[in-house]
Amino acid sequence: MISAPDVVAFTKEEEEEEEAYSDPPLPEEYSVPLFSSPFASQGANPWSKLSGAKFTRDFILISEFSEQVGPQPLLTVPDDAKVSGTFDLNYFSLRIMSVDYQASFVGHPPGCPYPKLNFVEDSKVVLGDSKEGAFAYVHHLTLYDLEARGFVRPFCMAYISADEHKIMQMFQELSVEFSKASECLKTGNRKAFANELEKKLKDLNYTRTVLHNETEVQKKNNEKGYYSTQAIEKANELASVEKSIIEHQDLLKQIRSYPYSKLKDSDFHPYEPESAVELAEDNLEQGVTTSKPDETGEMNPYPRRSSYTPKLIKAKSTKCFDKKLKTLQELCDVYFFTQTLDQLHQIEKTFRGDVCYLLTNQISRALLKKQTITNFLFEETFTVEERPPEKQSNAFQASPLDSSDAKYLEVCPVPKMAINLTVYKSSVESVPIKMDQELEDTPGTEVGEPMAYDQQDNLGYLDADLKGSVSSGESIEVLGTEKSAAALALSESQASLPQPHPSPQAVRNKAVSRRTISEDSIEVLSTCPSEALIPDDFKASYPSAINEEPYADEEDEGLRFSPSLNLDRAEEMGGDPEPENLLPADSTCCIGKESSSFLEPLPNLAPKLCDDDGVVSIPPRPYRQADQEFRINFTDYSSHDGITGSLLTYEPDPHYLMSSPETGKISLDKCSDSTVSYMSSTGSTSSDRTPSPAPLIGPSGERHKKKAGQNALRFIRQYPFAHPAIYSLLSGRTLIVLGEDKGAVEKLVTALSIFVPNCGAYAKPVKHWTTSPLHITDFQKWKLIGLQSRYSRYISILDADSKTLRCPQYRGALISRLADHRTQIKRGSTYYMHVQTLLTQLCSKAFLYTFCHHLHLPIREGETEDSVAARRLNFLKAHLGLPHEDSRVVQYLAELLKLQYLQDPVRGVSPVLRFDYVPSALYKI
Amino acid sequence: MSALCPPPSPAVAKTEIALNGESPLLAATFAYWDNILGPRVRHIWAPKAEQQFLSDGEITFLANHTLNGEILRNAESGAIDVKFFVLAEKGVIIVSLIFDGNWNGDRSTYGLSIILPQSELSFYLPLHRVCVDRLTHIIRKGRIWMHKERQEHIQRAVVEGTERMEDQGQSIIPMLTGEVIPVMELLSSMKSHSVPEEIDICDTVLSDDDIGDSCHEGFLLKAISSHLQTCGCSVVVGSSAEKVNKIVRTLCLFLTSAERKCSRLCRSETSFKYESGLFVQGLLKDVTGSFVLPFRQVMYAPYPTTHIDVDVNTVKQMPPCHEHIYNQRRYMRSELTAFWRATSDEEMAQDTIIHTDESFTPDLNVFQDVLHQDTLVKAFLDQVFHLKPGLSLRSVFLAQFLLVLHRKALTLIKYIEDDTQKGKKPFKSLRSLKIDLDLTAEGDLNIIMALAEKIKPGLHSFLFGRPFYTSVQERDVLMAF
Repeated sequence: MISAPDVVAFTKEEEEEEEAYSDPPLPEEYSVPLFSSPFASQGANPWSKLSGAKFTRDFILISEFSEQVGPQPLLTVPDDAKVSGTFDLNYFSLRIMSVDYQASFVGHPPGCPYPKLNFVEDSKVVLGDSKEGAFAYVHHLTLYDLEARGFVRPFCMAYISADEHKIMQMFQELSVEFSKASECLKTGNRKAFANELEKKLKDLNYTRTVLHNETEVQKKNNEKGYYSTQAIEKANELASVEKSIIEHQDLLKQIRSYPYSKLKDSDFHPYEPESAVELAEDNLEQGVTTSKPDETGEMNPYPRRSSYTPKLIKAKSTKCFDKKLKTLQELCDVYFFTQTLDQLHQIEKTFRGDVCYLLTNQISRALLKKQTITNFLFEETFTVEERPPEKQSNAFQASPLDSSDAKYLEVCPVPKMAINLTVYKSSVESVPIKMDQELEDTPGTEVGEPMAYDQQDNLGYLDADLKGSVSSGESIEVLGTEKSAAALALSESQASLPQPHPSPQAVRNKAVSRRTISEDSIEVLSTCPSEALIPDDFKASYPSAINEEPYADEEDEGLRFSPSLNLDRAEEMGGDPEPENLLPADSTCCIGKESSSFLEPLPNLAPKLCDDDGVVSIPPRPYRQADQEFRINFTDYSSHDGITGSLLTYEPDPHYLMSSPETGKISLDKCSDSTVSYMSSTGSTSSDRTPSPAPLIGPSGERHKKKAGQNALRFIRQYPFAHPAIYSLLSGRTLIVLGEDKGAVEKLVTALSIFVPNCGAYAKPVKHWTTSPLHITDFQKWKLIGLQSRYSRYISILDADSKTLRCPQYRGALISRLADHRTQIKRGSTYYMHVQTLLTQLCSKAFLYTFCHHLHLPIREGETEDSVAARRLNFLKAHLGLPHEDSRVVQYLAELLKLQYLQDPVRGVSPVLRFDYVPSALYKI
Repeated sequence: MSALCPPPSPAVAKTEIALNGESPLLAATFAYWDNILGPRVRHIWAPKAEQQFLSDGEITFLANHTLNGEILRNAESGAIDVKFFVLAEKGVIIVSLIFDGNWNGDRSTYGLSIILPQSELSFYLPLHRVCVDRLTHIIRKGRIWMHKERQEHIQRAVVEGTERMEDQGQSIIPMLTGEVIPVMELLSSMKSHSVPEEIDICDTVLSDDDIGDSCHEGFLLKAISSHLQTCGCSVVVGSSAEKVNKIVRTLCLFLTSAERKCSRLCRSETSFKYESGLFVQGLLKDVTGSFVLPFRQVMYAPYPTTHIDVDVNTVKQMPPCHEHIYNQRRYMRSELTAFWRATSDEEMAQDTIIHTDESFTPDLNVFQDVLHQDTLVKAFLDQVFHLKPGLSLRSVFLAQFLLVLHRKALTLIKYIEDDTQKGKKPFKSLRSLKIDLDLTAEGDLNIIMALAEKIKPGLHSFLFGRPFYTSVQERDVLMAF
C-alpha cells in the first residue's frame, strides 16, 4: 500500500538523484519532461499551449504548388492579417506542399495516344511544426488548367491550429467538411475546364479553317506542281492543329465523363444541379463536339457569353514561362469559388476555439439524442429536425415488451393500466376547477368537483421570514388544458372576429364558458385601457375576454369555464373532479405506451369507466385522432390569431435567433460577459480562444447565452427575492415582469428566460415585451411575460420599477444551488453552463418521477389512492431529497413531460390551464 | 563518413510476423533520411499472410513518402513529431513518428511508420493515441541506443584501429521489433474483442431487476465511482470471462463511444496481455487464480487505473492524475537515464534493461483503496433501479446522468478558466468552486475533475501540481493522526 513517506521520498528533486552519479547526465533531448509535455516549462498551464503560436487563433490557409514559383500561400480564412500574425505562411506552405501525396503508383498509362486526365482522390495529411507550435490538417486536391503543366494545378487547404490534439480529435469532422469544400472547388473547376476546352476547340476549329483556306489558296496558286516550303509548313501546321483538336476533344470527353456517382455516393450533394449531370452524361453519349457549345452553356448557373469569338492560335505560342497563371477564382468559376469560401468560413467558425468545448458538444449531442423525451424542457438544441418522432417511438418499440402484448400485460395488468388519472397528481395543490360545459345539444356535464384546499399546509408558508417583505393575500396559479385554452380562445374570437372556417363540430357544439366562482375571480381583460390599471385594481367588474358568468350557487373557490371544443373530452371525463382529468391519459400510460404503438390504444386494455374497486374511471387515451383534430383547430386558430396580433400564438423568440436584428444590435456593454473589472482588460485575448461554434451549439447562439447568463447572474446578485421568482417559473406559475422601461423589462425577461421550461418545440413560452391587454389564455401560453402595464395576482409579478416581487414563497434547497447570490462564478456564460447542468439534473429527477411505474400504480390490490399519493410524496422527499416546494417543481416538470409524451411529439406541450390558490408574499429589496 | 555508410541495396530487410488473428496492420517501416540518397527504408515488418495488400515495393514507396519533405523539418530539440496520412489514391493510412537521432556518425531524421488500409480509419482513430504513445516511448529508448552505439563504435575503431562495418546500426531493429509486434498484436486483439460502440444495457448489471441482483451493491457503487475517478480507465480481472465481461460492459456504459472502441473484452479461452492505454480491459486469471499486472506498463498508461477483481469484489485505484503523471514521468526518466548510463552490451540488452527497470520501481503499492465517497454515482444507482428494466427508460436515465457529468466538467473548466484568466493567475479558490458547483463531496470532485482532465489535459497538474509536495506532506501529517 502506498504510504506518504514513500511518496515524499519518491518525489524528491531529480537533480539530487542525478548528482549521485558521476556519469554525464542524460541529455534533455533524449529525456521526457517531468510534467506532461505541453506544460513542461514553469508557469505553463493547460491553456498556455494555445498562446505559444505566432498566430492568434485557428485559421485556414489555401496554398498552391505553382509551376512557376513553387509553393505559395494564396489566401487565408478569415482574411485578416492579424489572425496569422507573424506566422510565416510562405515557409509553412513550402512545408505542406513540398510532397506530392497524390502521386499515383502507375502514372500515365504507356502507349496512350492522348493526354489522360487522372481523376485523383484527395489526400489528407496531419502534420506539424513543433518549433513554431503550428499543426495542420492539410487537404490536398488537384485542379485542372489547360495551360498548366500536365493540365494539373496542385492545391491544398490547411486548417492550422496551435493545438495538435485538436486536429487529431477532430480529424474525421475536418475531413468531412473539407471534402465538401474540395468537392465544390473541383465541381466548379470541371465546369471551368470544360468551358475552357470548348473555347480552345473553337479557336482551333477557327484556326483550322483559316489554315485550310490558306492552304487551298496556295494549292490554287500552285502552278509549278511542287510545294513550296511555306506550303509544307502550312500543311504541317494544319496537321498539328487537327491533332490538337482531336486531343482537346478527347480531353473534353474525359472531363465530362467524370464519375458523378462518386458524388452521389457521398452524403454531400454539392452545387451541381441534377440537370447538369444529366446534361453532361447526355452530351457524352451524343459525342458532343464543339458544334454544340450552347448546350453546355445551360449547365452553368451563371450566364456566360452565348457567343464566343474564336481567335486564331499561333503556333508555338504556349511555351513561354512568363505567362500569367489563372487565379483560383478563374479556375473554379466565381459561383463555386464563393460557395467554397462560404464553406471554409463555416468550417472556421465551427472548429474555432478550445477543443474541450467542441468535444463536450459532440458528447452532449450524442447523449441528447438518447433522451429525446426530456429535451424539450430546457435544451435549446431541441428542434423538430433533431427529434424525429418515429425515432422516439421506435426506441420504445425496440423494447422487449413491444413484441409481445402478453408479456406487457403480465407486467402491467389491466387494472393497473386503467388507473384513473387521479393517480397522477398535479404538481400544484389544485383548486378544483369546475369545467362546466353547456352545450346546446348536450346537457351540461359537471366535469369537476372542488377539492378541499389544504389551507393549513399553505398557511405554514406564512411563518417564513420575509425579510422586510409584506405578506399579501392569496393568489392563484393559472394553468389550463390545451383544449380549454383553445376553447376559450375560440370563444373570444367568436365574439370579436368572424370565424373564417368554423368547424362543423364547433358550430354544433356551441358552448358557453362560465366560471363557478365569483369572489376570487379572474379578471382577464381584453379591452381595458392599460394605463389606468394598477395591480390592486383588478376587479371582477372589468369586462372579461372570456364568456364568464358568476354562478349563484357556485362554491367559494371554485372556478368554472367551458371550453367550447372540449366535447369529446367532456364526454369522457365522466364527472371526474380533477383538472388533471382533462389529460388524455395518466402517467401509467407513459410506461404502458412504451410497449405499444404510439397512436393506437390497446384494445384489450380498454378499461371500464368504473371498475369494481372503484379506482378506475376513464380509459387511457394515448394521443388519439380526436386530439389531433383538435390540435389542428388550435393551430388554425393560432395562426389566425397571430394575424390579429394577439398573444396567443407561439412566436419564435427573436432573442433566440442568432440572425435577429435584436441580437445584432446588442451593444458592447451587453455583450461583455464579465461581471468583474479585470475581464475588460483581458477581454480581447480571451475572446480569441473562447468558443463560438456557431451551428453546433444551437439556434440561440453563444451570444445570447452569454447575455442571458450575464443578466441572470446580475439578477440573482441584485434581487434578494430571486429564489421565489425562479421558483414560480420552475413550478409553472406565470411570472410577469412589469415596467415602463422596455429595455429594463427585456433585460429581466432575458435573465429569467433561462429558467423557463419549454412547452413547445419552437420557442420558450416567453414574451419579452407586450403592451396589449392580457387574456386568460395568455397565462397558459406564456410563462414569462414582459409587460408594460400592471396586471394581476394569479400570476407572479416582478415590478421592475418599484423592485418588488409578489409571488408564493420558496423554502427549498434546489434553487439556492441554482441561484446563489454569493457565487464566485464570474462570467455569464459560465453561469449559464452551471444553470444548464443543474436543470439537466432536475430534468433527470422529473424523468425518474414520471416514469417510475410503482409510484403511480397501486402495488397491491385495493390500495387506496391516498396510499399511492403518500408513496409518491415519500419518494420525492426520501429518495430524491426534495422538500415541499422542490417537489412541486419536479411535479410540474413531470407533468410537462407526461403531456409531451402523450401528446403530439412534434408540436410539443400545451400545458394545462389550472387555477391554484397559493398565498403570495410581497418581496421588496 | 561514406565508409560508414552501408551500400544502398534494393532489398530491404523484412521481418514477417505470425499473428493469431486478423491483422488490420499492413506493415510497419523504419526509414531514414540519407544525406546523399534521400529517404531510405531500413526495415519492414509485415504480418504473415497469404495475400499481401501491398508489395514490398509499394511499402517502400509509401515509407519514403513519409520522410519526403522532412528536409525542411523544423522541430524542437528531442521532439518526436507525429504525421498522419490518409492517401485515398493508395487506399492506405499511414502513421509516422518522425525524429532526429545520431546514427552511423550522422545526425539524421528517421521515421517509424505503421501502415493500415484506409477502410480501417474509424477502427484506428480511437486507438491512435495508444499506438503513438507506445511507439514514442520505444523511439525514446531507441535513439539513446543509436547514440551510444555510435560512441562505442568510434571508441572501438580508435582502440582496434579497424572499422567494423558489419551489423552497424542494425541492433536498433530488434528493439523496435520488440514493440512493433505487441502493437500488431494489440490491434489484432482489438479487431476481435473490442467493446462495441453501442452497448445494450441488457448485457450489463444495470438491467438487473434490483440493485444487488447480480453484483453486490457496495461493490458496484465503488467500482463505477472509482472507474469514473480514474478517467474511465479500469482493469477488470476474474476467473469467469462472462462475469468479467458483464462488468466491462457496465463500466463502458459510462464512456463515450470513442472510448468504448478503445476498450477490450476478456477472451474466454486464454487471457490477453495487459495493454497500456486502453480504457477498460477484461483479463482472465490463470489457473492459480491470479493475474500479474506489469508494473511498468500500468505506470505508462495515460491515466491512472482502477483495478477491479470480480471474484473477491475488490476495487483499488491508482493515485489521481497529477500524481500518476508525475510518477510516470519520473519512472520514464529513470528508465532512460539507466539506459544512457549502461556501459556494456549486456546492460544494453533488452532483458537486462527490463531487469534494471525493476530497480527503478519505487517501493509503492500503486493501487490504493477507494478513499473518497461520492454522491453522484450513489444517487444514480439508488434511482436507476426504480425504473422498470427491459425498456429504454434506464438508458435515457443513464444518458441524463452522463450529460450532467459532462456539463459539470465543462462548467468546472470554464470556472477555473475565468478565475485564473486562462492560467495566468494561480487558482486559489477550490473551496468556492466546490460550493458553487455543488462538488463538496470529495468523490464528486474527483469524478468531475477526471472527466475534465480528459478534455483539458493538464488540469490536475495545474490545480494540484504546484502544491504537490505540500499536499503530500499534508497528507502525511493527516495520516499520522
